[in-house]
Amino acid sequence: MGELVTFHGKTDGSSTEGVFELESDILHGTVSYIRIPKGMKAKIWAKRIGGAACDLIVEYTHDVTAADPWASPTTMELESLSSSGELKIEKRRPIILRGFTGKEAFRVKWKQSTAAESHIALEVEFDELDS
Amino acid sequence: MAVVDELGLVVEGQYLTVFIPATYKAFVFQVISRLNRGYEVFDYGLIPLSTGDTLASLDTGSVTVPEDGVVPARSMTPLGSGIQFPLDGAYDETDMWYIPPESDYANRLFHEKTKVTPAFLKLGVEIPSGVEQSFFQTKVSGGIDKDFGFRRGEIELVHFPGIHYRLRVANDTNLNVYTYVRFIYAEYVVRIPKDASLICNILRRKIPSYWLSMPIQKCEEEIRRAFEKAYGFEGFPITATEEEIEEILKKAKI
Repeated sequence: MGELVTFHGKTDGSSTEGVFELESDILHGTVSYIRIPKGMKAKIWAKRIGGAACDLIVEYTHDVTAADPWASPTTMELESLSSSGELKIEKRRPIILRGFTGKEAFRVKWKQSTAAESHIALEVEFDELDS
Repeated sequence: MAVVDELGLVVEGQYLTVFIPATYKAFVFQVISRLNRGYEVFDYGLIPLSTGDTLASLDTGSVTVPEDGVVPARSMTPLGSGIQFPLDGAYDETDMWYIPPESDYANRLFHEKTKVTPAFLKLGVEIPSGVEQSFFQTKVSGGIDKDFGFRRGEIELVHFPGIHYRLRVANDTNLNVYTYVRFIYAEYVVRIPKDASLICNILRRKIPSYWLSMPIQKCEEEIRRAFEKAYGFEGFPITATEEEIEEILKKAKI
């Protein structure tokens, strides 16, 4: 039952680091993190970064309902667009983030040496945990 | 010859066996005709939720639908308020799959697969309206707000005449999601075979038939009445002898 969803986000242009507000064709509104349903996994197949130089960091937490869920997240991946342009990362094997309790979540952060506008797109597949 | 086509729908002339777990009984139908042959896709569109509708929260309290067809984050349709699919001009305009148990419709049967986008949404069904039908050991109630008793993305049903079903939906992510519903369906004209030996062999799985086990773990009186009204009996016990089937067939209405 795997289903691919494209999420898009952009830096705010004025902060050198922050959390992407993600939007998508299936989303009403935006989200700053994605909670993974219990018994499912999120597979991040591809990332695209465009615009100004930017680091993209994927963080994962086991309990997004905790008082400070992102206090010590697990950093799952860091990709760097080292100068203005475009970076496309297509994985033969995706990053897999599992939903063991239904409280797991991930978010995507940016870091820049100079604040400027950058855009990202992620291809995320939601699939059964045992598939 | 294959019993089902590439869509998983029963081919004309073949048999469909619908098993009711609550009663250990099954209905055996022969598909005489598929009225919508070649047009099995019904692109229904958004889940029929309207702006301002109230859903239950998977956490606490309630959640308001922010826009037509959007299932809010951490929400579910409450038991008894599951979704029916309206269709102008249908026999029951509030529930397109409902057909009456009497008249010309008793020999009609809808076999459908509800496919919901996004596929991570949890789906369940109330049969009849307001009745949860998933249990563990017939003691512990399951459902879309539990760890069992639901499916994600797709659910397959046969709609019996005279019973209103309701689809339940839950969204256990933090995403407010737009939705889409596509039905793959067949509108069968069916008959119940009158040959007890044939039915016995189908129930023993000696003769090929498409078996569908319905999510009916609790057989409400309303379900029994609908079966009696449409077919004259509640199904064939799956261990029935030919003689017992002969007796039951005397009551069969179609």
